[in-house]
Amino acid sequence: MTPRLRTLGRYVLLTLVAAVFAGPFLILLTTALKPGSQPVYSFPPDLLPVPPVADFVIEAWTSVPFARYLVNSVLYVVLTVPAYLVISALTAYPLARFRFPGRQAVFLAILSTMFLAPEVMLIPRFLVVSQLDLVDTFAGVVLPGLLSATGVFLLRQAFAGIPQELPDSARVDGAGELRIFWHVMLPPVRPTLAVLAIFGFVNVWNNFQWPLVVLKDPDSYPVTLGLAYLAGTFGADARPAAAGAVLAMVPVVGFFLLMQRHIIEGMSGALKG
Amino acid sequence: MTVLARAAAQRPAAVAARPGGGRRRGAGGPRWWVAYLFLAPGLAFFGVFYAWPAVTAAQLAFYDYDIVSPPRFVGTGNFERLAASPEFWQAFGNSLLFLAMFLPLVVVLPLFLAVAVNLRLRGIGAFRLVYYLPVVTSMVAIAIAWSFVFHPKGALNWLLLELGVIDTPIQFLLDGHWALPAVVVVEAWQYTGYFMMIYLAGLQSIPAGLYEAAALDGAGAWARFRRITVPLIRPYAAVCCVLGGILATQSFASIYVLTRGGPQGATTTLGFYIWSRAFEHFDFGYASAVGLVLWAFLVCFALVQYRLTRGEPTG
Repeated sequence: MTPRLRTLGRYVLLTLVAAVFAGPFLILLTTALKPGSQPVYSFPPDLLPVPPVADFVIEAWTSVPFARYLVNSVLYVVLTVPAYLVISALTAYPLARFRFPGRQAVFLAILSTMFLAPEVMLIPRFLVVSQLDLVDTFAGVVLPGLLSATGVFLLRQAFAGIPQELPDSARVDGAGELRIFWHVMLPPVRPTLAVLAIFGFVNVWNNFQWPLVVLKDPDSYPVTLGLAYLAGTFGADARPAAAGAVLAMVPVVGFFLLMQRHIIEGMSGALKG
Repeated sequence: MTVLARAAAQRPAAVAARPGGGRRRGAGGPRWWVAYLFLAPGLAFFGVFYAWPAVTAAQLAFYDYDIVSPPRFVGTGNFERLAASPEFWQAFGNSLLFLAMFLPLVVVLPLFLAVAVNLRLRGIGAFRLVYYLPVVTSMVAIAIAWSFVFHPKGALNWLLLELGVIDTPIQFLLDGHWALPAVVVVEAWQYTGYFMMIYLAGLQSIPAGLYEAAALDGAGAWARFRRITVPLIRPYAAVCCVLGGILATQSFASIYVLTRGGPQGATTTLGFYIWSRAFEHFDFGYASAVGLVLWAFLVCFALVQYRLTRGEPTG
């Protein structure tokens, strides 16, 4: 086999695999844009909407409060991610840099939460949230997600890598502990914070089971729940559900494409420790 | 996200736990209670959303509780009920089947994909991106997309009919034999890119010199893969195995949107069963008992994994 032919073969193979991963999304998109006169299904599959119309995108947008769902999802992200970063950093920092009684115990306790499977915690967490009277509130959706072992774990490693001279010289200059934390120790761990923020965004945006359990009022639904609701209401015609799915995907896929470098590097960075 | 840290924690090398060494604090460092001031918010959340629920979960399994009337102690009643329940055993079997189908899909296939996207080709980044796209997409949207693929008149049936694999279209999501594999395929499809990236990190940690030396000795591509890649990638395969187990038990949105656990419970896994008993039937005590069983099952799974991967050459 000539090298040229081999390269060509590799591209063909890569493209076939890409078709497997992009195919369902393409079907989603073309279904969403098909006019009502064109059948959704046909043998062979008819992938081109003739002509492409926005009728069902508009129907998805207006038959349920779709804009409201999107705003809610944005709110859940905005309420969760910054607080999540601050709490994770506040928790990780002393675990990485201070010597104090109980340090190991605290770290182990937080690490052990990784072994509490979420599907097992679903019920008791719901009961706690209902005892706090937070069922069907934004706080009920947001609060349980503000601490995760992942964030603490990764930030602790980032803080541990900062040279001791930095806080020491700040201390000599008479800076208070909070000031040292905020102005001296946080800037160097910015890359880790960025990774956590990106994955936090994606996770909160795509979260489904917890909001499903906590929320009753459809006006508070994030877009994932709204989309499932929309898909459930159209038994006969699949097009509005497809259009809704496309609408729900746009923000997170756009964000992903913007942040792809960080996401891919962040993933391998996290794995390399 | 938790999954990431689990991956990191699972890393075989000692990079994971590095307790700050000797450079924790210089002379005149903060007093011990300052540490607890920093820790206070984190510890509060830990207490309220982890410790308290964990205790509640263990307790609740021994009670009968429907949220409306006060909990009633029933001893091991819930466990006796589940042991006698065909629904429970069906869900248990489904979970095992799910795992058995899911693990090979996410532990083996992504390795080949990682080898492919590790090639030095122009535009390889774009392929990585496409393969990774489902990972960041909401499962609800993915499930809707796949419901078109699985439709009796959908793309998959057309392809299989054209290839002559089947004679009549299959109702993938309504057929008790096909519904669970269909859900597994969707779940595996979503995470393939994720596992691919784990393997890619592993592949890039293998020194290129090894491959060059082997090639000089006349080893072909397959021999190099078998003798160098496979042994050195094993720790990463172990990570994928553990993560695969965790993700398999967490599947929910896919089942909820595609099948609602049906037909006749064919896609009800233990995780879905817990949700359904608790939040569709308000049988909280019983669902908690099932949760404890699932948790014990997960711990066993982790222990078996640990025993299997321990003592292997880790490269």
